[in-house]
Amino acid sequence: MSNAGKRIGKELNECTTDPPAGCKVSLKHEDNLHEWDVYLEAPSNSVYAGGHFHLTLSLPKDYPFKPPVLSFVTKIWHPNVTNDGKGSMCLGMLRPDAWKPPNKIKAVLEMVRHLLLEPNVEDPVEAQVADQYKRDKPAFDKQVKEWVRKYAQKKGAE
Amino acid sequence: MMSRPSVLSNSNNFACFYHDPGLGGMGYRTGHNQHQHQQLAFRTLAGQAPDVPAAAAAAFTTSRHRTPRSTFAKMEYDHGDDELQQLQKLSNEYAPEPEGPLVSERISSSAITTEYANGDPVYQTKTAALPNKYSHYRTCRGDGHCGWRAVAFSYFEALQRLGDTTKFAEEEARLRSFSNIFSAIGHAPDVYEDFAEETYDLLRQTSTASDDGAALLASFNDYGTSMSVITHLKLLTSAWIQTHSDQYSPYILPQTVREYCQRSIETANCEIENVGMSALVDILVKPAGFALEILYLDRSSGDEVNEYRFDPTDQHGVALPNAMTLRLLYRPGHYDILYKFEDVPQPKPQPPLMVNLATGRFEEHMHERPGWHDLGGPDFGVPGMSFASPGQVPWSYNPLYDFSAAPGPTLQQAIPVPAYAPLSVAAPRAELMPQPARQDMQVGIPTIQHQLSMIDRVSPFRPSKFELETNYSSGTLYHTQFVTSAFKNSHFNTAHFNNPDFQPEEWDPLKEYEQSERPRRSESS
Repeated sequence: MSNAGKRIGKELNECTTDPPAGCKVSLKHEDNLHEWDVYLEAPSNSVYAGGHFHLTLSLPKDYPFKPPVLSFVTKIWHPNVTNDGKGSMCLGMLRPDAWKPPNKIKAVLEMVRHLLLEPNVEDPVEAQVADQYKRDKPAFDKQVKEWVRKYAQKKGAE
Repeated sequence: MMSRPSVLSNSNNFACFYHDPGLGGMGYRTGHNQHQHQQLAFRTLAGQAPDVPAAAAAAFTTSRHRTPRSTFAKMEYDHGDDELQQLQKLSNEYAPEPEGPLVSERISSSAITTEYANGDPVYQTKTAALPNKYSHYRTCRGDGHCGWRAVAFSYFEALQRLGDTTKFAEEEARLRSFSNIFSAIGHAPDVYEDFAEETYDLLRQTSTASDDGAALLASFNDYGTSMSVITHLKLLTSAWIQTHSDQYSPYILPQTVREYCQRSIETANCEIENVGMSALVDILVKPAGFALEILYLDRSSGDEVNEYRFDPTDQHGVALPNAMTLRLLYRPGHYDILYKFEDVPQPKPQPPLMVNLATGRFEEHMHERPGWHDLGGPDFGVPGMSFASPGQVPWSYNPLYDFSAAPGPTLQQAIPVPAYAPLSVAAPRAELMPQPARQDMQVGIPTIQHQLSMIDRVSPFRPSKFELETNYSSGTLYHTQFVTSAFKNSHFNTAHFNNPDFQPEEWDPLKEYEQSERPRRSESS
């Protein structure tokens, strides 16, 4: 536990002093290192441009030996994010069987940002969205932009 | 899926701790790993494992209630191939929450025999023969890291058994020197250093530990420590394979070494495979001068477990003789730790120092009261025959009680302490006189030293008559105030712990000088 705390503290420090591009990271509650709030600015050259996404990052008790759990609080039209109100995503390095303890949260956040630029349609959680992306990219883009306008606008406080 | 583990743990607790072959792949993560295990196994396992997990899966998919183990065997033959395949898939994906200690206490290996008593006949035969050669074993939790953990624990344990602190320091330096292979594959220090620090810390702790491995076992049962060490070893192994690709690449085709390491070594949740094991042995076990033996318990023919041995070699590739051997028991998909009888540390012989101290004390009393040495003679010097133990010598004979220094701590000092018993003897004394005991301790020790040096004898044998006579009078005059033993032993003596004005006697070098002078005068007069 103290090990996990030490490591998480180090990573939190790293993510706040030198945050990955477009990310803002903070603890959900001051006294709990395991629950993080992440605010992510979509890359301007992506179809999600202008979107401002709120995510939560939850670090398990056994972190870094178990992967962190990342989910979108803000609704997003994306093949790799579930559209069920939980906004969970589980792919690539976040999979329990692919997670490596040396992986850093910073790398996780960079991966997420990269997914906004380039969704991974080969490994989707929303097959319907992935299908649309492959078959009808303009319709996909339109849907994305509509959802960004509807759900992902920057609020004053953030 | 999640509801099933409870069925398993209810119906057969054993299966959670040990990977019961009757339940096949149920106990541990199999998935793609099992495939690779089979492909790469030094002893071929192909065609043995798949049918068992299928039967186990069948038990849980068709009847979700308690199923006696004996029915598994029957069900094995009741299903068609398609169904078996489907069940196999279910079984492979099935992973109950593993239980039990990460590394268990050392237990008798006859437990393995018992475990298989109603099982497969091949296993029955092999496990019946097992305890004859390998007397003890430890279980490792089947959480997907058992192989890594078994090697890591055995390595630390072997180092502790050697008991050489410089060896620990050497090993730490050696492991630290692998930073070059990390940089060769592009790992910055911050990738591995947190995990490596835990390994170094544990090496240091173990090098100074004076227990018989209890602290090491506790560290390995701490999830964070255990996993950090394992992660460090995984990263080391991965870096080693990648920097020695010509040695390992033929065994992992068609993957490249990098792909293989990324997928099957570095990930948090992957069990060790043969290539990984062999690399881990090359980087950790052999250079430390240890051999590793893997005993395969599977359904191959034969009456005994199959042995595969990795020997440490010198620079010419010749196996080093008499290497300390780490032993693992491998059952398809799972590793535990095995011991031969001679690997298990035996109780240590009694430390000779204490025995000498006792003879020293004995002589001292010999010259104090020259009359009584006929009572016990040299027996008092024999380890275990404690003349101070209340059960053996009646108190009235006990010379310590007559001795003017405070009785408590001197008694404690004088007992030839067997390695396992000191508490039981010392404890009651401590209860009787909790406060002054400490003070006395400090007083008592110089007294003894002084007495010993006065006698000036090196030989542990019974003192001769002449020796006794030369110093004869100095002993008697030492007791200036309370000459009769009856008085000294009573609570009227302020040096007696029952005296309300209890004041332990203190040794004063000046007074001592006076006292030893006096006899000479009285002698001459």
